Order: sequence, then structure tokens, then C-alpha cells
Amino acid sequence: MERRAVIAQPMTETCADDADDALVSAARAGDRSAFGLLYDRYARMVHGILLGRVPPREVDDLVQEVFLLALRKLDSLRDLSRFGAWLSTITRNRANDYYRNSSRVEQPMEPEEEEQAQSRSNDHVAEQEAAMTLAVLRTLAETYREPLMLRLVEGMTGPEIAARMGLTHGSVRVNLHRGMRMLREKLAEKAGPKTEDNTKTAKTSGQNA
Amino acid sequence: MKDEYLWDGSGEPDPEVQKLENLLGRYRHDQPAQAPALSQLFDQLAAERPAQHRWSFSLSRLAFQLAAVAAVLLIGVATYLVIRARHASNSGPAWEIARIAGAPRVGWHSLSGNSETGQLKVGQTLVTDGSSRASITLDETGRVEIDPASRLRLVASGPNRKRLSLERGTIHATIWAPPGEFVVDTPSAVAVDLGCAYTLHVDDSGAGLLRTAMGWVGFKLNSRESFIPAGAVCATRPKTGPGTPYFEDAPEAFRDALAKFDFAAVTEEERSALVSVLMKYARREDALTLWHLLSRVSEADRATVYHRLNVLAPRPAEVTREGILRLDQKMLDSWWNSLGYGDVYLWHIYERTWSGDQPRSK
Repeated sequence: MERRAVIAQPMTETCADDADDALVSAARAGDRSAFGLLYDRYARMVHGILLGRVPPREVDDLVQEVFLLALRKLDSLRDLSRFGAWLSTITRNRANDYYRNSSRVEQPMEPEEEEQAQSRSNDHVAEQEAAMTLAVLRTLAETYREPLMLRLVEGMTGPEIAARMGLTHGSVRVNLHRGMRMLREKLAEKAGPKTEDNTKTAKTSGQNA
Repeated sequence: MKDEYLWDGSGEPDPEVQKLENLLGRYRHDQPAQAPALSQLFDQLAAERPAQHRWSFSLSRLAFQLAAVAAVLLIGVATYLVIRARHASNSGPAWEIARIAGAPRVGWHSLSGNSETGQLKVGQTLVTDGSSRASITLDETGRVEIDPASRLRLVASGPNRKRLSLERGTIHATIWAPPGEFVVDTPSAVAVDLGCAYTLHVDDSGAGLLRTAMGWVGFKLNSRESFIPAGAVCATRPKTGPGTPYFEDAPEAFRDALAKFDFAAVTEEERSALVSVLMKYARREDALTLWHLLSRVSEADRATVYHRLNVLAPRPAEVTREGILRLDQKMLDSWWNSLGYGDVYLWHIYERTWSGDQPRSK
């Protein structure tokens, strides 16, 4: 029984990879529903990676852009089983390009966004606490930031993260554990004793973070 | 096992992980694929592929000409957008001012009522006298508290660029905007928030001191850069720029030597002697200071600093002695990242975002 259990885990991963292979092949051949399934399967991963790198308000649009970009480049993917890792790279590159795109940086806020910002302010304290926590999470190194984003923000499990990003269970597990420890330390720094000057700032602004 | 909960959600729930899940869940992806956009692209790709085989020489030539015309138009449009963007950077949302004590003022208008609030718009300066204090807040960016005897000007408030100028006095900034978006000019350096809380002081001579409470902050003048993590401080002087950051609990002899190394008028021999003192008193935590010294000491002293730093915080596998001695930027970045104060990519984001804006200095 024990031996079967050890063997079963990689088989599950292999099945998932096989399914990706088939979907990628079908999408290459022009199967829209196959690409839709890939989107459903990988959208949270793309979203989580982007959220660690660009302003939250830009992420949803960039998710769509990443998938459109991936669809255009799909023919260049040689190893179909590496779709997740390939898509991760496209996502990171797109996030980097975002900061090179000066026109996007200077775009004024649209009226709809202003309305959304207004409605968000009703939930002001929780919003600020979440934003502050997200900001702390974003200060972690990429190795720890990405798996924690996918786990804590996107609600993915460790095995899912490993399967989607093409990583081993062991490395994801270690990085989640270490990343969580670093995040705890950084959040504790914020909550712990500070210099007199900074205490008054933290009290008024980050009291719930 | 609480770790099992972090791994796959099974086992005994970890309350801290659950709290973070609830808090951060608001950012979770919930957008379905935009089917029309995907379908449209599928149609476009399908149309492009067969056409590629039918291209003749003349069509290729026509395409080249069209591409050339498009490139010219693109350059024109890009130039227009850049010029417009420069002008647009002078506008943006105002920061909400709240009076904390006394009568802070903006222009001729002073806030003196208990609940009186105001707005700080781009180009305006908030002034506090010896008994006044105020705070300014922008919802998506953060909150800045201004101490007595300060002058703070709002320089830019664009969507991804918030820039203040502290001409004199002290501010306490708590920032929740993404790293690299919030910048404060001082007369002798530019402070770049890399997340999340710090205090910045500027005296009448333009000299400054930055103390980070949480996260880390970049301090820059021209090519001189300092990274200041939580618990560390960094002084800056007009014309010289930011000094070398250090932890305040470092030995007194270490701090004294560093102050002289950074700002005193000393000979090369004296600087070498100061480096020896720094190496002697450096502790494990002072790897922060030693990493910065790598690019600030003479070539002759660099090997000494390298060896001491390598003892206190061993270099990552991909970093070599030779690479560090020739100041290979990738290796320096890699060693910095291994110190655990923050990922240097955040700094590069700032550099890309603000690349057209030069720091202001006396």
C-alpha cells in the first residue's frame, strides 16, 4: 500500500501534464475551447505572478494580454509539457514590459475607476490593511513571493502550484515554508516596537495591518 | 501539522495563514476569459497563416513600405505622447490634508479648526510652523505625517508616480502603493519607497537623514545609491549624496569611522585606515554596510572588504571574487538579494519607471 501511494503522486502529475499537452496541441490547431480550458487552468497563476509585480488595478487587463500573447506565440513552444513554465516566463516578461511602457504609466484615471475607488473607500480600513499586507508580501524575493501569492491570494494548493509552474513538490514546499516565515517576520516588524517617531505613524495608519 | 495547512489546506488550520487568506482574498482572480477577444484573435491568426504562403515579392515590398510609413507615424505619435505625458505628470489627484496640531497652511490658507481638512494639489506647498503638525493621505498610495517646522511640496501625483519634495523638516511616511511609485526629493538625495514605512529629516543646510521602520528604501543622487532596510539609517549631504547605510546599534567606533569615510575631507591613506577600522568592528549585521562599501572603496581596499563580507555573509554560489572586484552588477545584485533585505528587482522597477526624471540636488 505504501509503495502504491508513493507511486500514485507522480502519476497524478503526469496525467495533468498529459492533459496540458493535449490542450496545447488542440489550441495550436485552432481549437478555441481547448485554449479556453487552458485559460481556466492557468489564469490564477498568471494573475498571481502579475500581482506580485504590477499595481493591482492593472492586473486584470494584463492577464488578458498575457493569454493573447501566449496564443500568438503558441507555435514557438517546443516542449508542450512545459506550457506552465513557458507561460510564467511570458507573464514575468509582460510585467517587466509594463514598466517600460511610459504611455501606460501616464494614463489618467478613467471616471469608472474613480467610482470604483470611491466605493472601495467605504471599506477603507480593511482595504488599507490588505494593501499594506500585499505591499509587504511584494517585498519578498521572487522565489518566495510567487508561491505565497498563489497560495494566499489565489487560493491554490502547493501541489497545484508545483504542477502549474512546472516545479517539484519539494521546492514549492520549502519556498512556501521559508516565504511564510519571512512574511511573518516582516509583518511582526511592523507590529512590534518601533522608534518613537515611527510609532505614531504606524498607530494612525497601519493599526489593523 | 500546521505546515500541512499551508501546503495543501489539509490538517489543522493555521490561524495566521487563514487570516492572510481572508485579507488577501480580495485580490483573487475572478475574471472569466473575454471570449470575444480570444475568438477575434483566433480568427485573425487563422486569416494570417494562409496569407503568409501567398506573399509575392511585390506584396513584400508593399508591406515594407507600409511598415516604414507606419514606423514614421509611430515615432511621431510616440513623441507627441511623451511630450503630453511630461505635461500630464504635473497633474493628478490631490492629497487630503488633516490638521493634527497648530495651524498648518497651504499658501495663504491655514487649517486651524479641530476638524478642518484641506487638499494639497500638485505644485502646492504645505508649511508647518514650530507648533503645527499635519498629515496628508492619498487612498491608493499612503499616508505622510509632517512634523513641526517643515515644508513639503507636492511635485507630481500621476497614476503610478507620486512625488513630494521635502525642502525642510521631518516626515513620517507609511506607504502601501507598489514599490517604486512613491518618491520624495530632498536637497541632497531622492528617497524611493520600496515598501513600506520610514522617517525622513532634512535640516536647513539641505543635509538629510533617513530611518527605515519597515521594508526598505532606496536613496539616490546621480549614480550614488544606498539601500536602507528596516532598522537602518542613512545620512545624506548636498553635492555628496547619500552616505553608507548602517544599523544604529553598530559599535560606536564603526559608526564614527563610517561618518568620516562618507563625509569628511580625508586623504586616500586616511580613507584606507578608516576601512581597516570598519573591517575590524564589523558584525554579521553590518554586512549591509560592507556590501555598499564594495563599490565605494578604492580598488586596493576592495579585496579587503570582499574577504570580510564573505566571512560575515558568504557569497552565493554564482558570485565570484573576480566578478566582485570588477564590480559586476549582476553579481553585486545577487549578493545583495542573498542578504535578505529585499529583492533588487524592485529598485530596477523604480529606475525604469522614473528613468526620464533626474533627481534634484543643490
